[in-house]
Amino acid sequence: MTQPKNPPRIDWKRAFGLREMGVYYALILLVVSLAFLTAYLGKANYLSVQNLTNVLYQTSLTAMMAAAMTVILVTGNFDLSVASVAALSAAVMVGTAESLGVAGAFGAAMGVAILCGLLNGSIVMFLGINAFIVTLGTLTAIRGLVLIYTDGRSLQVSGAEAVAQLKALEGATFDVGPVMLLAGLVMLAVAGVSLLREKRLVPMQIGMTLGGLALAALSWANEMVFVLRAPVVITAVFVGLVWFVLTFTTVGRRVYAVGGNPEAARLSGVNVTAYRLGAFVLCSATAGFAGILFGARLRSMTPTALSGMELTVIASAILGGTSLFGGAGSVIKTVAGALLLFSLTNGFNILNLGANYQGLIEGIVVVAAAAIYTVGNGKARSKTS
Amino acid sequence: MQLKNVRKTFGLYVHALRGVDLDIHRGRVHGLLGANGAGKSTLIKILSGAYAATGGQVIWRGSEVRWSSPKQANDMGVATIHQHIPLVPTLSVIENVFLGQTGLWRVNAGMRQSFAALCDRVGYRLDPDALVSDLSIGARQMVAIFQALATGADLIVMDEPTASLASDEREIVYATVRKLSKVENKAILFVSHFLDEITALTDEVTVLRDGATVFRSPTRGLVEAQIAEAIVGKEVAAMEKATASRARHVGEPVLQVTGLSAPGLAPIDLTLNKGEVLGVAGLLGSGRSELLHAIYGADRFARGEVRLNGQLMRRSTGAAVAAGMALVPEDRFGQGLVPDFEIWRNMTLPALDRVSRFGLLDHKAEVARGEAAIKRLAIKAPDAQSIVSDLSGGNAQKVTIAKWLFSDVQLFLLDEPTAGIDIGAKTEILRLVRQLAEEGKSVIIVSSEFEELMAACDRIIVMRDGRKVAEKPAHDTNEHELLLLAGGKDSTSPHSSHDRAIGA
Repeated sequence: MTQPKNPPRIDWKRAFGLREMGVYYALILLVVSLAFLTAYLGKANYLSVQNLTNVLYQTSLTAMMAAAMTVILVTGNFDLSVASVAALSAAVMVGTAESLGVAGAFGAAMGVAILCGLLNGSIVMFLGINAFIVTLGTLTAIRGLVLIYTDGRSLQVSGAEAVAQLKALEGATFDVGPVMLLAGLVMLAVAGVSLLREKRLVPMQIGMTLGGLALAALSWANEMVFVLRAPVVITAVFVGLVWFVLTFTTVGRRVYAVGGNPEAARLSGVNVTAYRLGAFVLCSATAGFAGILFGARLRSMTPTALSGMELTVIASAILGGTSLFGGAGSVIKTVAGALLLFSLTNGFNILNLGANYQGLIEGIVVVAAAAIYTVGNGKARSKTS
Repeated sequence: MQLKNVRKTFGLYVHALRGVDLDIHRGRVHGLLGANGAGKSTLIKILSGAYAATGGQVIWRGSEVRWSSPKQANDMGVATIHQHIPLVPTLSVIENVFLGQTGLWRVNAGMRQSFAALCDRVGYRLDPDALVSDLSIGARQMVAIFQALATGADLIVMDEPTASLASDEREIVYATVRKLSKVENKAILFVSHFLDEITALTDEVTVLRDGATVFRSPTRGLVEAQIAEAIVGKEVAAMEKATASRARHVGEPVLQVTGLSAPGLAPIDLTLNKGEVLGVAGLLGSGRSELLHAIYGADRFARGEVRLNGQLMRRSTGAAVAAGMALVPEDRFGQGLVPDFEIWRNMTLPALDRVSRFGLLDHKAEVARGEAAIKRLAIKAPDAQSIVSDLSGGNAQKVTIAKWLFSDVQLFLLDEPTAGIDIGAKTEILRLVRQLAEEGKSVIIVSSEFEELMAACDRIIVMRDGRKVAEKPAHDTNEHELLLLAGGKDSTSPHSSHDRAIGA
């Protein structure tokens, strides 16, 4: 492959502007101020391994669903029903864990979730009804199914064997200290190699260097012991996979094209219907999986569990700069958005600030983020369409 | 009373005006011409108050003004009719016309009176209560003109008002323009790509090139060739004529269409040979776009058989692309491009397999392809990283064509590939079509500019009201005959089927 004579210009101002990097800045700012505040006030240190792993654990299910939500938003659709699907799948998991065995229950719960996704997607794609309206309906209807299935009561797993298996599924822990150190070093190496190859600084190298340093330092400071629970590891792997597919593969390119201009994508030979339907199924399947983890965590299920979670999921995607009109979004930033929301909650708890203020602050953060993205967008483009 | 526009510079990154002089007088029609990217749009935006000039003076009625908003310009008596008619499709005609007016009621008796008065002044009747979304494009254009008149403007800026109109609809616009300038003594700035209407309609002409005025003259005594030369700077115009005379050898059939029908398209049979260029002459709503979409498999409701190299095609755009068909749709940004993608990402979309291995994209190969396209079609863009929505119309069109040039395409379906673009880009695209035919590709071009078809095609079919009405070898017909055939004696007003593409 011949190298173009003029390497593409880099817009540093844009690459590190609020619009592109805002969510990272906000997250770093929040974490640093929480760390200082906790140290100053003599509370439990925010940056302790215990607290960090705790925040990650709390974020994991939302982050996983938000990553899938990002995909569906990128294709230009919307899914409000994720929390209900997760609840249904959790209910099926808890309800059948003893009769079908844990593996059987897992299959049943995933099957139900995928069916929900197919239902949502088919109504939207084949009847042509707006996704917002369809999933607003299924949000209520699927929650209704949960009530019917549980008969309005709490379900519980009591068989000793099933409990043990569920514990093993959800409660497993992994020491990722060495992996983190290794990943940090690899990221530093990638940055170095890229610098040598390009013979100039590009934004990616700076991100890789900072990320690599942070990972390696964190691991080193804790003597290479960093114990994470299964949901965190699963979420990390899942998000990494989605990010890879969206960024480097033809499938990812088509996903963005479908959201950017469905008609142009269709006339370029992309099967728009399949991609959009696939996004619905992915979104519901991920919600179902998150529901299974949730069910396995509590080994019981109340009919109203996970209510309202869809709003946190969508808020995370918006904080991450995902466009509600399709065609733009990044799963990594969405995860940063989820971490931001849960760090806020966690900080409120640690600092013993009134929980009453929490909702207000979170809401303001979401609107402020959306404002930054919109205003930044308006300036970058000319006023005409 | 006059608007004297001495010098203006507009400092943005790419498109800048480097000193434009323009005098527009009351009671005259002033023609403004220029290639894509010459700065016409920027100039219009300054006149309409959407942008502020960064240097020079805008003098209006003898005193210098600085408009900071379209509303301000409007209040001073300047109204602009934009190219993509910004009407509210869900409101009625009268509501759109008086959209800028304040008052409590949506429609009151006073408005009805002034609307009736407007109709009388212009001599064109519109139903005030019809919904704009139900109107034909020509009628919408008239609504936009009414809107401008309702503000009581003395200077009316018209940005390519006839670009998407059929010929009878154009006549109405011409008549209105003449009446406004001669009878009502308005000043009119008329922006157009059509040289014939500029010579027929205007009193004075100004030509822009690369952001500066290069040519100013009264229209009387000018010939089209002079203006064309001023626009492109060279005698590119002559090229178009030269390609016309040729005898060509064409190969065996590539495309066979039997009994193909679709909503807006009566059953049609068609055969296309290898290396042949087939022109489809037809006016708006004649079923020409429907024909291309049906062949391409993009119309779910199409019926009938399409065979490419003897193979029966499934009705799916994916199958069409895989089999080697390419469609360049009429609406560039609506159907042809992903506006927020860079040139390179748009370029590789139909043939991602060629720049990837096992589904993994090769970024360098993709960008290289974008650069190659810029070079091959002389696309005016800083590099392949440019976002396509920042490109001018002609350059965006080149991208929509270029994205098909790097895969094994045998049949190109081009829907109005030269609409709304300047002569320079037009000539390049027509030349590219001939070049593709020399390479043994087959091409179908739809166009409402019949002299283009005469220049580029081997064979021409004429469509009217959704059916094929004639088929002629290109050397055995002429523009006049095509026009008569396409217009027909019973020229019922063509609309509805295309409103979708332009509306909203």
